[in-house]
Amino acid sequence: MRAPKRLFPTLFGFLLVAPLCAQTPLRVAAAADLEPVLPPILAQFQRASGIHAEATYQASAMLTAQIENGAPFDLFLSADLSFPKRLISDGLADAAGSADSTTPILYARGTLVLWERRDSRLPPPSLDLLRDPRLKRLAIANPDRAPYGRAAVAALQSLKLYDALKPRLVTAENISQAAQFVDSANADAGLISLTSALTPRLVADGSYFIIPRSLYPPIEQGAVIVSNTRQRAAAHKLLDFLLSPPIQDQLANSGLTPVR
Amino acid sequence: MDWQAFVLSLRLATVTTAILLAVAVPLAALIVLGRGRWLAALEALATLPMVLPPTVLGFFLLVLLGPRTAFGRGIAALLGHPLAFSFDGLVVGSVIYSLPFAVQPLVAGFASVDTALVDAARLLGAGPVRLVSSILLPLARRSLLAAIVLSFLHTIGEFGVVLMLGGDIPGATRTLSIVLYNQVENFDYAAADRTAAILLALSVLSLAVIYSQAHSRVSGRGGRDA
Repeated sequence: MRAPKRLFPTLFGFLLVAPLCAQTPLRVAAAADLEPVLPPILAQFQRASGIHAEATYQASAMLTAQIENGAPFDLFLSADLSFPKRLISDGLADAAGSADSTTPILYARGTLVLWERRDSRLPPPSLDLLRDPRLKRLAIANPDRAPYGRAAVAALQSLKLYDALKPRLVTAENISQAAQFVDSANADAGLISLTSALTPRLVADGSYFIIPRSLYPPIEQGAVIVSNTRQRAAAHKLLDFLLSPPIQDQLANSGLTPVR
Repeated sequence: MDWQAFVLSLRLATVTTAILLAVAVPLAALIVLGRGRWLAALEALATLPMVLPPTVLGFFLLVLLGPRTAFGRGIAALLGHPLAFSFDGLVVGSVIYSLPFAVQPLVAGFASVDTALVDAARLLGAGPVRLVSSILLPLARRSLLAAIVLSFLHTIGEFGVVLMLGGDIPGATRTLSIVLYNQVENFDYAAADRTAAILLALSVLSLAVIYSQAHSRVSGRGGRDA
């Protein structure tokens, strides 16, 4: 057994040295609703431009806090406009290169849906389901930090159901966890993003109802470039790619409304 | 300051510690006194929760205890509600999550008791219960104390499991560590500072109280012996 003796120090040495040789990827801070959408787009982007981009998915507020504290992101794709605006007014991000450098660049609009497992003993998802007294647990994303959570609360308030449902709400960290609460059948239904509802897993397990858009303020998803990025050109390229017609069409298929 | 969460955290830690003691003392005694290879497997199993990231453990519990498993449905029928998003669910999660912190000190403590004493007690006809209550526990007092303190504080500071299993319900699953996290995430750093200060003060205070009692007991005993 002499080989392993040399193997481990070699491996260890390699792991120490390897990161120094690797090229820094373009780092994207992406809202959780993009988790099912962005990976194939980033792969296409790499094929088209040769730029390798890596994304981190979190609730928008969490990413904002990370950027405020110096997280090494180059591009921030929020699920709303308020968090990117906040970063712009703090001087930490900008939309340089677009018509107005102080307004986040709108790249998509989000859709809120009510999702339920198909094997649920409750009626299929509809606004009536929200009024059903047998609905014991409704999952939403945290309204303080997830734009979809904020939209969910607004929709329930428009329906005058918020006060009645408040004790039955279970709050998830972000929109992906809200979907997980329902898919694991721990919550009866959930107000989640259409992007989550269209993932193969959730398509197989359940069905969704699109919450009428008149019930909540539009989920306008804005992008900004983190000001102290060293890869501004690459970040712009990715943003342009995201706004290009073929990719915007692709967004439409995965649950986001295109803006171009 | 969220006193409701403060009380909830204390209650969760107390209930969890009590259950853990009832589970960990027999378990540790079995590991130390028993014979057979399966004991190594048992000890490994009891240490396993330390390896899993708490959020992953929380997710497994969410699925395992959820209504999609027969086990989860049985519990739900017994309690009248599913275990997730409830205080009971957090207790189950905390007991599993903190199990190694109760078992490990006890195993170490019991194992350091002189085997001659254990053998002598056995020869005199002491059963396993008597062995534990009259020999192992009194001689491994500090380990018992360590097990209590570690279980309690580990539960107070528990976060990942609660985050996955809790659903952030005030009065039921919103513990102090979740409140602190929410405050940080909502950019309310001043409130977060206050919550963190209380969490720290609570921990230092309970540690001081427990260790001071331990010291007085040890020195009092020393005086009697002399």
